[in-house]
Amino acid sequence: MRGNRILVTFVTVMMTAFVAVFCTLPRSVYSELEKRELLRFPKFSWQSLRDGSFTQNISNWFSDSEPFRDVFMRGSMELKSLMAFKTKSEVTFHAAQEETAAIVEPEKGQEKPSVGDQRSIEEFHNNVNANAKMDNAGVIVVGSAPNARALMAFKNKNKREKDFAKVVNSYQQTFGPEVNLYCMIIPTAVEYYCPVNARSCADPEFPVMTELYEEIDSAVHIVDLYMVLGKHIDEDIYLRTDHHWAPLGAYYAARQFAMVAGVKVPELEDFEPDTMAGYVGSMYGFSKDVNVKKSPEDFVYYVPRNVDYTTVYTKYKLDKDYQIIGEEKPHQGDFFVKVSGTSSAYCTFMGSDSRITQVKTDSDCPRRLLVMKDSFGNAIPGYLFGSFEEVHVIDFRYFTKNIKTYVKEHGITDILMANNISHVCSGAIGAAYGRFLKK
Amino acid sequence: MVFSDLFFLFVFLPVFALCYLLLKRHHNAVLVLFSLVFYAWGEPVYVLLMLASVVVNYFVGLGIEKKGKTALVVGLIFNIGVLAVFKYANFFIANFYALIGCLGTSNLSPLTFHLSLPIGISFYTFQSISYLIDVYRKTTPAQHSFKNLLLYISMFPQLIAGPIVRYGTISAEITERHVNSQDLAEGMMRFLRGLGKKVILANQLSEISSQLLTGSGLESLSTLGSWVGILAFTLQIYFDFSGYSDMAIGIGRCLGFHFNENFDHPYCCDSITDFWRRWHISLGTFFRDYLYIPMGGNRRHQAFNILIVWMLTGFWHGASWNFLLWGLFYGLIVMLEKYTLLKVIKRIPKVLLHVYSLLLVIIGWGIFYFEDFGQMKHFFHAFFGGAEAFTDFSAVNALSSYGWLWVVAILFCLPVRDWLNRWVSSWKHPRPVLLIVTRSVLAFLLLTLSVALLVGATNNAFLYTRF
Repeated sequence: MRGNRILVTFVTVMMTAFVAVFCTLPRSVYSELEKRELLRFPKFSWQSLRDGSFTQNISNWFSDSEPFRDVFMRGSMELKSLMAFKTKSEVTFHAAQEETAAIVEPEKGQEKPSVGDQRSIEEFHNNVNANAKMDNAGVIVVGSAPNARALMAFKNKNKREKDFAKVVNSYQQTFGPEVNLYCMIIPTAVEYYCPVNARSCADPEFPVMTELYEEIDSAVHIVDLYMVLGKHIDEDIYLRTDHHWAPLGAYYAARQFAMVAGVKVPELEDFEPDTMAGYVGSMYGFSKDVNVKKSPEDFVYYVPRNVDYTTVYTKYKLDKDYQIIGEEKPHQGDFFVKVSGTSSAYCTFMGSDSRITQVKTDSDCPRRLLVMKDSFGNAIPGYLFGSFEEVHVIDFRYFTKNIKTYVKEHGITDILMANNISHVCSGAIGAAYGRFLKK
Repeated sequence: MVFSDLFFLFVFLPVFALCYLLLKRHHNAVLVLFSLVFYAWGEPVYVLLMLASVVVNYFVGLGIEKKGKTALVVGLIFNIGVLAVFKYANFFIANFYALIGCLGTSNLSPLTFHLSLPIGISFYTFQSISYLIDVYRKTTPAQHSFKNLLLYISMFPQLIAGPIVRYGTISAEITERHVNSQDLAEGMMRFLRGLGKKVILANQLSEISSQLLTGSGLESLSTLGSWVGILAFTLQIYFDFSGYSDMAIGIGRCLGFHFNENFDHPYCCDSITDFWRRWHISLGTFFRDYLYIPMGGNRRHQAFNILIVWMLTGFWHGASWNFLLWGLFYGLIVMLEKYTLLKVIKRIPKVLLHVYSLLLVIIGWGIFYFEDFGQMKHFFHAFFGGAEAFTDFSAVNALSSYGWLWVVAILFCLPVRDWLNRWVSSWKHPRPVLLIVTRSVLAFLLLTLSVALLVGATNNAFLYTRF
């Protein structure tokens, strides 16, 4: 009897403590871990009350914005990691086979085109056998802390790559020979770092790549990264804890582009490296795997040394659902933005996507480049300030103008479409670029 | 609202408990009010349907006392009619049009009712039917107080996912019940146990089953993957549903109600007949008492009775052909067991019986899981060795990455608690302090681990609330 009373008291005290935490302490509004704003209390309307969405949204808000959400989430991930049988995990990645097609390396500072567009590529095999596991949201985690690598599995569900190729071709028809059009499809990390035993978890990117290269008009310059990046996988070309590539990967991409475009090829020694230590990117939130949290990495980006440039931003005003509701006046700013904390390190390039960026440089090359990109493309422009007199950057999600007018008004001579393969196949980018022609 | 929702745990439940304690003289009114809020939270319009159902059943119950069978028939037509319209109408209409299409006479544009399935309709309708039949059989008198009948049908602990509580089980406790510290302690522990089953085990197992048995996981299913996936679902549905029942029974106990058990370690069964004595007991006994026996039971055309009862048991779970097939599957096995296995069961080694039973149960869940027959065919093709690969990364990963989860889940399918209780009661010198500390630590772990796992959980719905 006494034991029952003690137990009842204990459970009541515990419940009261949780109620105090969940109902009286300030609620979380942003999750660093998931890198997103948390739900707000829903707005009332009779309609929402009648259809049940108001009450449902209250429950959702309560469950989404609890105090110390990230602390609880970490606890949850620790707990989930305990469910696994532990195995020793050492992973070494090796560069692609030497017999793969040769990449032509230019002379230092070369300005003449040394490569044509490369459409003939060979499949990459890393032959790595490592411990890997499938985590939340289809994320493959290879190895374990402190060197875990999280890979977003590529799934070509929509199969819209042909639509993208059609849009690229329509750009070529629209701009004709007056503007050089380049298409850069960026492979994702899973293509290079996924162990053999986990390959079945992701669709191969190679066949999609080759299909795209076949479909895209021969007048469009292909900037192939598949082979280029495959030569460097033992370097930090992809972030281990983020879904993006690393600035070093973007460097090799920019270099390849410069060679195809026949402009001054950037050399890494012309850039000042800057390091943000302890970076843990978006894959922690996606995978909800504590091994990723415990595998911080250095985020190293490169700032051009001997180039004078000014950056002007035209920012879009967004509502809470990230819909464009207006446009700010153009203003000058830094291309490389100092971000607070390491978790937003990838925002170093231009600060965010919702803007048009125009960079004027002191390059003596009279050509002007427009980069049409997704977030992977953010890391490229900084390497090209010494190669073009102007570099313009627009994001496929945030551009409200007519692209023909924009190109004409700014005297653009070269257009680079730089997008990762997942976005290309999703159909979103093709649709957006198509709209830009019709606005 | 569901029991494993943070809003329920830390807003609804505490506010309810506070009001219930403060308004001691109005216990039932508080319980009814909160039950209606609980239901309306998810079904703001369909709460009116439930109230209408209670009104009709109230008057039919009174009518049965005067008019007997006629009133019962009216009540049964009403309750089955409500189920037919809200749960099965679109199924029947879709199949009617499909049939017409097959006959080549389809110039009609398909008619559909735009009705969503009211949560818990199968449970509260069956409770209403059991009430009416019990009144008719005079095993219990009709409830003359509308609010008491409303309390019986709408009581939130068992409203949306059972167990199906017979009116006779709690009729006395509706008007008079007592709660002592043992009820509270047992009720709280039962609730926390159920919460742990749902959040710590079922939700994690659902990640495995959905990873392997849906979307691209299903498309590239290996033979091992099909076994691992359906085994995960086998464990998931048990911990999900029995967890909910535990929470319902636990809350009921804290309020002074004693609901009957709904599960008795079903995966320890030694035949399919035995499985159905242990799985969803309240549904099994409902069909036994209100359909199987009145149809003649084992006295006349038993085989026919078994098939009808099991088909309806399957169909109760959802308006889809796979549920009918699932019921038929069990009906045939139960019928075959009657004439074969059960006659020689004592001469067969227990291990073989368990393996035989579990294999059929797992196959049954395969039928249950896939409403799409194309997917079901693909699954069973892989399950019986027809997949391109015997094993794949996803399957091996599901075993190794959740290794301890499998161990714990399989362990808790066994009557571990009974073994522990027997062991403790065999102690020559009882150690009450140790027991209190153990139970407190267990309560602490269950609550904190569940809360930690609930934060950010995206797979928290109870499977049986959709029936």
